[in-house]
Amino acid sequence: MSKSIKIALAGNPNSGKTTLFNALTGSEQYVGNWPGVTVEKKDGILSGHKDVVIQDLPGIYSLSPYSIEEKVSRRFLVEEGPDAILNIVDGTNIERNLYFSTQLAELGLPMVMAVNMMDVVKKNGDKIDFEKIAKALRCEVVGISALKNEGGMEAAEKVVEMAKKAVVEKGPGKLPDVPHVFSGSVEHAIAHIEESIQGKVPLRSIRWYAIKVFERDREIIKKLEIGVGEMKHIEEHIRDCEKELGDDAESIITSQRYDFIKKLMDKSLALNETRKDKATLSDKIDKFVTHRILALPIFILSLCVMWFLAVAEHGPGTVLTDWANDGFLADGWHVPFTTHECRAEGKYKGMEFEDAQGEFAKQDASKSAWEEAYLEKINEGKSDDDKVEEMPEEIDEKVAATIVAKGVFVEDEETGEPIAKEDNEDEPDLWDVDFAAYKEASEWEEPDPSQFGVWVPGLGALITDALDKAGVSDTVKSLVVDGAWGGVATVLGFVPVIFIVFIFLAFLEDCGYMARVAFIMDRLLRRFGLSGKSFIPMLIGKGCGVPAVMAARAIENERARRMTVILATFVPCGAKTVIIAMFAALFFREQWYVAALMDVIGIAIIILGGIALKKTRFFAGEASSFVLELPAYHMPTVSGVWHHTWNRLKGYVLKAGLIIFPACVVLWFVMHFDWSLNLLADEEIEKSILHDLGSWIAWMFEPLGFGSWQGAAASVSAEIAKEQATATLGLVAANMDGATTGSHIQALFASVSDFPKLAALSFMVFNLFVPPCMVAIAVTFREMGSQKWGWFAVGFQLFVGYVLALSVYRIGVLVAGGGFGIWTALAFVLDAFCLWAIFRPGKKVEC
Amino acid sequence: MLKGEVEMNVSSLVVLVVIGIFFALAVWRVAKKGAPCECGGSRKACSRKGGCSCCDCCED
Repeated sequence: MSKSIKIALAGNPNSGKTTLFNALTGSEQYVGNWPGVTVEKKDGILSGHKDVVIQDLPGIYSLSPYSIEEKVSRRFLVEEGPDAILNIVDGTNIERNLYFSTQLAELGLPMVMAVNMMDVVKKNGDKIDFEKIAKALRCEVVGISALKNEGGMEAAEKVVEMAKKAVVEKGPGKLPDVPHVFSGSVEHAIAHIEESIQGKVPLRSIRWYAIKVFERDREIIKKLEIGVGEMKHIEEHIRDCEKELGDDAESIITSQRYDFIKKLMDKSLALNETRKDKATLSDKIDKFVTHRILALPIFILSLCVMWFLAVAEHGPGTVLTDWANDGFLADGWHVPFTTHECRAEGKYKGMEFEDAQGEFAKQDASKSAWEEAYLEKINEGKSDDDKVEEMPEEIDEKVAATIVAKGVFVEDEETGEPIAKEDNEDEPDLWDVDFAAYKEASEWEEPDPSQFGVWVPGLGALITDALDKAGVSDTVKSLVVDGAWGGVATVLGFVPVIFIVFIFLAFLEDCGYMARVAFIMDRLLRRFGLSGKSFIPMLIGKGCGVPAVMAARAIENERARRMTVILATFVPCGAKTVIIAMFAALFFREQWYVAALMDVIGIAIIILGGIALKKTRFFAGEASSFVLELPAYHMPTVSGVWHHTWNRLKGYVLKAGLIIFPACVVLWFVMHFDWSLNLLADEEIEKSILHDLGSWIAWMFEPLGFGSWQGAAASVSAEIAKEQATATLGLVAANMDGATTGSHIQALFASVSDFPKLAALSFMVFNLFVPPCMVAIAVTFREMGSQKWGWFAVGFQLFVGYVLALSVYRIGVLVAGGGFGIWTALAFVLDAFCLWAIFRPGKKVEC
Repeated sequence: MLKGEVEMNVSSLVVLVVIGIFFALAVWRVAKKGAPCECGGSRKACSRKGGCSCCDCCED
């Protein structure tokens, strides 16, 4: 079997390495246009070359051993040794990118330089002379556009060819042809160092090692085990150079590299004269977007736009979610833009569906009003115990003839159902309902939507029909329809909202705005002693908390890294978006901004939590430096945005099948069986295992306003996956008789609190800001490096989530006139403690 | 609706078996490849323990 050829894909951060890697290997690695997205190297097989492995290295600016990314790349390039290097360079910033390229060239490996973003270079009217660069750096140079998938494969083919040739020609003692970029005295000193270290390092990279020794790179000097006498001799040469050039060795190398690049650029780069000294479109946009005062409001505004589209009433997200929840995944839907006329014989014949619903509601209201009046009449003079509460099967016609009720029809704005006069502030319609009218009203049956217009049955209806036709027992039907399908459908019903959020984020990322957000947050966080580097994992966390926690590895400072791990998951991830979407749809339809507020609260917790943690001796210290390159704004490609969106959405849908489905099956069993494993009737749910488990811990949620067994079960099950909270609520609601799942969930919160909206808000806040799902917690423990720190992270997150939910509910109740109690006092005490932790003087600890 | 003994007939058994198979497949997939996340990757498929395709070295 032939040995595989290893090609290293190396370049500056944000130069397009991962985009090229994906194009070359057909992978779907995450691409972000901010630094720190790739922390470790990734492997992939080059398309059409089974024996060629492409290795995507983290983006770095030099081969110094300072950051984790630099260490990973340097270790691989120098010690493991790929067969060739594909150096990807940003053509729009070629001068700065060449610094790293000169270092790569010194490694003595076959190298092809792929000058990326040539489409933008050409559009700008700039010209790059590849031949001159190739000659100066002793490598091949080709122009590509990774985003448009142009030239990348040709560059890869070329580097593979060079690698194969090098493997054949490889032999001991062969000095590579590497560029000499330094002045005479420095080259002289390097030549002496090369002599001293000969035999200790591979000959092909001897120049790179010699330069590192010249720079007094401790790691390399230690590795080469240079003797004291020899080092003394080398030091003399270095000092001579330093004396002659009036600078320290490392600075000499850096400045002479830049001199070399400057001269090379003068010869090979011709910038469009008309563009020189002219502000680009990106510069003009950045004047507003990164403005000292406007930046943050613009960021919040962009979040508001996203949430408006996703959850505002009559917005695309809500319309599609309603269709998915009530139509596609449930009973079915009418084909839009067709008439919905009734085809079946009967009272509704020829009537439009909406009119039929209205007519039925009116008849139903007449029926209810008359029945209420009848019951009142026959209960007259009876004691409470003797009163009849339900309509008897046989009506006393004599009594009935005396009754003329007042029909009331007022449509509830949310449910479309008639509501009682006393609950309605507006003047209702009133009409007389006598016995004859009652009998007429009783004959009206709820209109069957499938008899109107072109009706497409939903998946829920199809499953139910299939089970009915197969003669499946009620128990098994309940397991499938209410349990497995019910839970999964509740989660899938919010795909439209998730889709809008993900597509909006993908657009912001791809156009270059998210990199600005990192810059804005760095400026904000730095004021409080935090680094913008900590915000990068949090940006990633908007998709999923797991990669967010792992992205914190890019932070060198251990204290800052731990703090970032603790705070990263406070940004509501994709799964938490489902909770936001459900509660926005059920409780805050007209207050869509509550959804955007959750993101703002997440960011506020990160900032305030960071400030509080920084003031403890465990996290005190200076903020680490943060180098961020702002990419030029550009219109994202449809395929790029789709790729980002689909990758995330796919995970969400997969999770519904792999996590939510089995979890719902288990939940159905514990909800329908008691501890002796007896099957329970719907009305016996209070004997169920789930009821008992939920009840045991419900007291913990009592102060938060949702201290019911259902609320407790939903909150605990959310640790499996955050969207499981919605699935569990859907499952519990499916067990209740009557209207829709949504109205049951509303009723659930109304049954435990006089302020159901506040209880719902508290539930949402609690589930968004307590520790993330189990997988993210496991990764947190691993990244924190010890059990102690893992528990600290979980404890901190639990404290923040609980205090926030307690404050939202208790202070909200107080403001709404619900009175002051012991829990309100506790909320104030805990809030005061948090304020003290944020505003107290910080510890000054050297780190 | 549901009370006492579970009513069982052939079609109910078939449905139960299908649910059981799907359940087992889901659990097996998660145990083997790890839980999927919103980046579309799989953690267990990654060469590095706990890795995920959106941030680490693996292909799903």
